[in-house]
Amino acid sequence: MARFAPLTPQASPDWLDDTSYQHGFRSSTEDYALISKPGLNKRIVELIAHHKNEPTWMLKQRLAGLQIFSQKPTPTWGADLSAINYDKIHYYLRPLSHNAKEWKDVPQDIQTTFERLGVPQAEREYLAGVKMQYDSEVVYGSLRQEWEKDGVIFLSMDEGLAKYPDLVKQYFGTVIAVGDNKFSALNTAVWSGGSFVYVPPGVKVNMPLQTYFRINSENAGQFERTLIIVDEGASVHYIEGCTAPAYSSQSLHAAVVEIIVKKGAHCQYTTVQNWYKTVYNLVTKRARVEEEGEMIWTDFNMGSKVTMKYPGFLLTGKGARGETLSMAVAGPGQHLDTGSKALHLAPHTRSSIVSKSISRGGGQATYRGLVHVAPNATHSKNKVVCDALILDSASISNTFPTQRVLTSEVELEHEATVSRVGEEQLFYLMSRGLTEEQASKMIVQGFAAPLIRKLPLEYAVEMNRLIDMEMEGSVG
Amino acid sequence: METYRYTQPAEHPVLTLTQAGEYRVEIAAEGVELTLFGLFQTADTQMEQVTLTIIHQARHTQSHTYLRGVAADHSHLSIIGTIIVEPSAVGTNAFLDERILLLTPTARAEAIPNLQISQNEVKCSHAATISSIPEDQLFYLMSRGLDRAKATEMIVEGFLAPPVLPFQA
Repeated sequence: MARFAPLTPQASPDWLDDTSYQHGFRSSTEDYALISKPGLNKRIVELIAHHKNEPTWMLKQRLAGLQIFSQKPTPTWGADLSAINYDKIHYYLRPLSHNAKEWKDVPQDIQTTFERLGVPQAEREYLAGVKMQYDSEVVYGSLRQEWEKDGVIFLSMDEGLAKYPDLVKQYFGTVIAVGDNKFSALNTAVWSGGSFVYVPPGVKVNMPLQTYFRINSENAGQFERTLIIVDEGASVHYIEGCTAPAYSSQSLHAAVVEIIVKKGAHCQYTTVQNWYKTVYNLVTKRARVEEEGEMIWTDFNMGSKVTMKYPGFLLTGKGARGETLSMAVAGPGQHLDTGSKALHLAPHTRSSIVSKSISRGGGQATYRGLVHVAPNATHSKNKVVCDALILDSASISNTFPTQRVLTSEVELEHEATVSRVGEEQLFYLMSRGLTEEQASKMIVQGFAAPLIRKLPLEYAVEMNRLIDMEMEGSVG
Repeated sequence: METYRYTQPAEHPVLTLTQAGEYRVEIAAEGVELTLFGLFQTADTQMEQVTLTIIHQARHTQSHTYLRGVAADHSHLSIIGTIIVEPSAVGTNAFLDERILLLTPTARAEAIPNLQISQNEVKCSHAATISSIPEDQLFYLMSRGLDRAKATEMIVEGFLAPPVLPFQA
């Protein structure tokens, strides 16, 4: 740790007292319409289905999910999940008995929560539509008239199932099967909330749609289910943000996101994940991309205790394209195990994965990826680039890419580097009068910049601010 | 599993592997700079796997690893290379390069380069590619009068030739 300025010892090793997490406030759960007892069994699943007044095929799916969940072992190949106590978690927390149509109908404390998170302001200024999910339910939603007129559907998943049962039935579970993994099975069993988006052929939604996920209760489980269908030649950008209060007990977030990108369509899905550092974030996200379609995952992970998330794409049509841009910042006590899966199943498909991670203060960042080229996917191309920064000697950075090619006439490339902030770089900046901390921050921001540039401006500003805060006092 | 262990400080060993199998290389003395070449070929219906783990245990060590594989016919070649940097290995510089060439549409390949790093004073990188022989390279050689088989042979030969050693005194 050669340095050019004297090191100042950093106080507060107890990262749970971290005051830099500004979303740690909470509201009372006393007025909730329903909080299920902790633990999971058939009765809880039936209770959820009953409350939502669902068709029987959905209940069957839920029960199938429950059975698979209880039979599958907890995966041990990635982050340590052994501390999750499934019996302590509340699987269904319904804050309101009804969804609000108008913002003024939303209860005061929930309004205050979202106001503090800045969501309504963003809605007014630059979003085409917004959903706010509070624990298990979407409490408020809107969509601008111009898009509604064009036939765009943007509902909570529960409303979507009630209003468009056939459309949901046609696509539900087709990209991520019930038994895909333990947590997709859990999600299928107890899903609640999430978004249902349908963009009709040729409609280009040029302002982003956003859903904000907030966990408010202690020991909460949030299991939203999102289904996005982008019809031929249409295009959409969907953004999700996530935060939770600062509880010392663990919460579990296990979402499933399925996206269908039809011929020539375009979909970008952006995640800005900033859960509190006790949340287990175990998410399954996948898109099926048809002929000449394009899917872009932009994935920013800052928070959570453990994240295991590998957004993927099945490139099923000729000339389909997929792109993942992933960024992880792992601080003290965190293990962020992220990456991407690219499955090339048709000729002339292309994909690229760019992953950047920063680990500091004993945090662990892992890239885990899969590139699979099926026998008929000739003339396919893929490129994977992973860059990792390690800021101190207590932190860990891993890279586990897998490339599997079952045909000839393909091009696959993978590159990864792991390094620390370069001494010459620091020296250069410090010789120009910056302090070591300013210089480090500037270098880290430069490292993240190529990904942050892909975000809409408002989010880019927010991300830069988050990274800045995350890096506060982390020079080492 | 074959184990190679380097304990002589400031040694500059060169190791060449040509047989598939499991290898473990431990760099246990300060200042060791290892250069490792691996050349692997599979044909017919062979299924081969190379598992190579390089562990940096001592300070200021370097490893430069170049693995080349050629899979022909219906064969299946899988190369799993891992670099592990232990917390004690301050100042490690490691590079792992895996390249696999597929000669036929029925050949299969898997390249898995892994990095596990528990130390921040490091410079580690890896690269992997899987590809077939570009048609334009064949075309070039064939336009000079070689037949397809001969042209392929030449390209494979060039592919397997060890990369020029880093300039060393």
